[in-house]
Amino acid sequence: MSDHAKKPEPVDVVIVGTGGGGGTAAKVLSEAGLKVVGLDRGPWIKPEQYSGDEVKYINRNYVWPDNILESRSFRPDADSDALEMPFSPLPFCVGGGTTHYAGWLPRPMPSDFRMRSLHGDIDGACLADWPISYDDLEPYLTKVEWAFGVNGLAEANRNEPPRSKPYPCPPPPPTQFAVQFYEACAKLGINAFPVASANVTTPHNGRELTNYTGYWNQFGDPSNSRCTTLTTFIPEALATGNYELRPDCYVQEVTVGPDGLAKGVVYEDLDGNHIEQEAKVVILAAGAIESARLMLLSKSNMFPEGIANSSGLVGKFATFHEYLFAIGLFDREVHDPAHGYTGYYISGGTMDFYETDEDRGHIAGCLITASMTGPPVNWVFPGRPLWGQAAKDADRDFFDYSWKIGIILHDMPQETNTVDLDPDIVDGWGLPVARITHTPHQNDVDMADWQIEKNIEILEAAGAATTVGTQLTRSTGNTCHQHGVARMGDDRSRSVLDKWCRAHDVPNLYVLDGSSFPTAMGVNPTLTIMANSWRCCDFIASEHAKGV
Amino acid sequence: MLSKSDWGVGAGPMDPDSEEKLFFTDHEWETVEAAAARIMPSDEDPGAREARVVFFIDRYLSGLDYIYATADGSGFLKLDGKYAESWSQRIADMQETYREGIKELDTLAQEHQGDLFKELDDEQQDYVLELISHAPKPESIVLGEVDPVGSFLQAFTDDGMQFFDALCLHTRQGMYCHPVYGGNREMVGWRLVDYPGPESLADTITCKYSLKELFALDADWEELIPHLREKKSAEE
Repeated sequence: MSDHAKKPEPVDVVIVGTGGGGGTAAKVLSEAGLKVVGLDRGPWIKPEQYSGDEVKYINRNYVWPDNILESRSFRPDADSDALEMPFSPLPFCVGGGTTHYAGWLPRPMPSDFRMRSLHGDIDGACLADWPISYDDLEPYLTKVEWAFGVNGLAEANRNEPPRSKPYPCPPPPPTQFAVQFYEACAKLGINAFPVASANVTTPHNGRELTNYTGYWNQFGDPSNSRCTTLTTFIPEALATGNYELRPDCYVQEVTVGPDGLAKGVVYEDLDGNHIEQEAKVVILAAGAIESARLMLLSKSNMFPEGIANSSGLVGKFATFHEYLFAIGLFDREVHDPAHGYTGYYISGGTMDFYETDEDRGHIAGCLITASMTGPPVNWVFPGRPLWGQAAKDADRDFFDYSWKIGIILHDMPQETNTVDLDPDIVDGWGLPVARITHTPHQNDVDMADWQIEKNIEILEAAGAATTVGTQLTRSTGNTCHQHGVARMGDDRSRSVLDKWCRAHDVPNLYVLDGSSFPTAMGVNPTLTIMANSWRCCDFIASEHAKGV
Repeated sequence: MLSKSDWGVGAGPMDPDSEEKLFFTDHEWETVEAAAARIMPSDEDPGAREARVVFFIDRYLSGLDYIYATADGSGFLKLDGKYAESWSQRIADMQETYREGIKELDTLAQEHQGDLFKELDDEQQDYVLELISHAPKPESIVLGEVDPVGSFLQAFTDDGMQFFDALCLHTRQGMYCHPVYGGNREMVGWRLVDYPGPESLADTITCKYSLKELFALDADWEELIPHLREKKSAEE
């Protein structure tokens, strides 16, 4: 039942989204003394409402978007028809992606901010330098790691970028499969280390590691073990008294005043009321696909192509990470059980293949990690026998004797890879769904082929009797990582946002999710999204204090 | 419309011994039970029959009552608003998929083997399943020989699935779900694969259910990581 059928009072800041970017913004700005309203289209499911129910979460989409109501469409290129498909989904609930992500929180590398300077023009791709450097972001990467309670062992990574503090928590013990991974890497001279991840391990900020259930990736956490904005930054924002959270509020438009500034946002509540929340500053952090969609839906006389889109670049240069992997099946006569259903999804990885080595035949690279195969209904075994004695034998023989090595495939930005509004398909509220157009660049394909072969080599060194790789036959956006659709840059003609992620066209509109990333990196974006959000919010708070 | 976070409890827990059929006719139930028993056969270990996969599927297809268990598994959530509508559509589509699929199984069985599917022997039933799936019966994994596969999404819903694919997916669910959903009776599915699953969903909320002892608790980072070892000895 809505308390807000009458128009709410204007505030200093309205933030669309409560995930990594929006949750961080909520904390920083309300702690700075601003009056903030946070809106999330999803429900505020509390930790105790989550439990280890595989069918509910992985087969019946309790938290993943509903494919009928909340769909998207996808086409490989503009000449193909777009088909309805849940491309790069993110959960719709308070906490956003941080509610049920696997929780890899690696840092970016300094090279990630300078791809154009390093590589020039790559045929077919549109590389760009970021308008900030790793050094500009480093203090914020550290702030997030400490405020969020990230675990890691920095000195174990021979490729670790510069850092001003160690991790606040040590890594959890390795899983059984991780030990196999470490031993295989040591044999091959590869530097495997515990990749930073999203759970406390020692008591930190009143939280402890109590969740050893293995119900981790794609499951909400009923404890406060997980680093999620749901149990950290959102409650911290609420505790200031300056932040009001309104869940189940689906923002459908950013409104523009006669002065050309953003006036506020219009959202639909559970009763179907359309309500405008005015604010001096509007922040979008709905995830790149939904933020781009929202900007494109926000048409006005001043912005007929969507708010802040005079460049026509909103939705362009969209990049996504494909998760590809090789699985290893081990002979139980020879090996101990791998227990691929235990842990916090990843346990061990390497950045040895991240920096460019042109001998490999491609530029750039990606993070790889050893990871769980998951609980038994959906344990990951590509190409499993579908039925019969073979299916039963596969489960019985290999469920407990399998693990995988996955990659975060670095995606080269192309102007023709886009997010726009589908002309035909609408969602359950009657609004055009996001249409994603994406074909991987040849560099992506070459990197995937090379890296999967390398992963197979590691699995074989570990003694895998069988390995199965996955190939980049089509884009699915299955990591949920999404970026690029509102590039940040100094050149107004080639970017949507400036270096503070403030829209060039609309100086009180900010986009603080992955939309701003000019290049995709080959690591998971969440830590960078959160650090960047914190950095830009410090700017917003200081500008606001000046009365701007 | 209620927020998803405010959905109350609708149906109570299932009676795992119930023989009542909420969706399938007797004939449909017997046919699905027979087909599931070919998808996950019984051998020295239980299969779909013992796990009560058909009961699991019957409850799923019965309507909106058994879609999402409550967090502690003591009952089922009462869907509301737009999600009740989307699930109504989803279940209605899947009901039709099953009804038509069962008819097709029988049509193929009659045409090719001279009797209803449920009356055929194992080999004959497998033959019909090959026909309906348009592929030969899968052969056992031979260690060392599996082809690569294309990329896929993380969630595995049955939206838009054809009958046989849905039946295979639902059979997996019925084998290994938490028993509150009616399958994996007495955890026979979990025992088959050596999965120490949580008898009580409530224990996964309190985290009393724990797999901590299955980690490599005694592992030493310096032993596992040569780079760390070298760094530490250089410091000494």
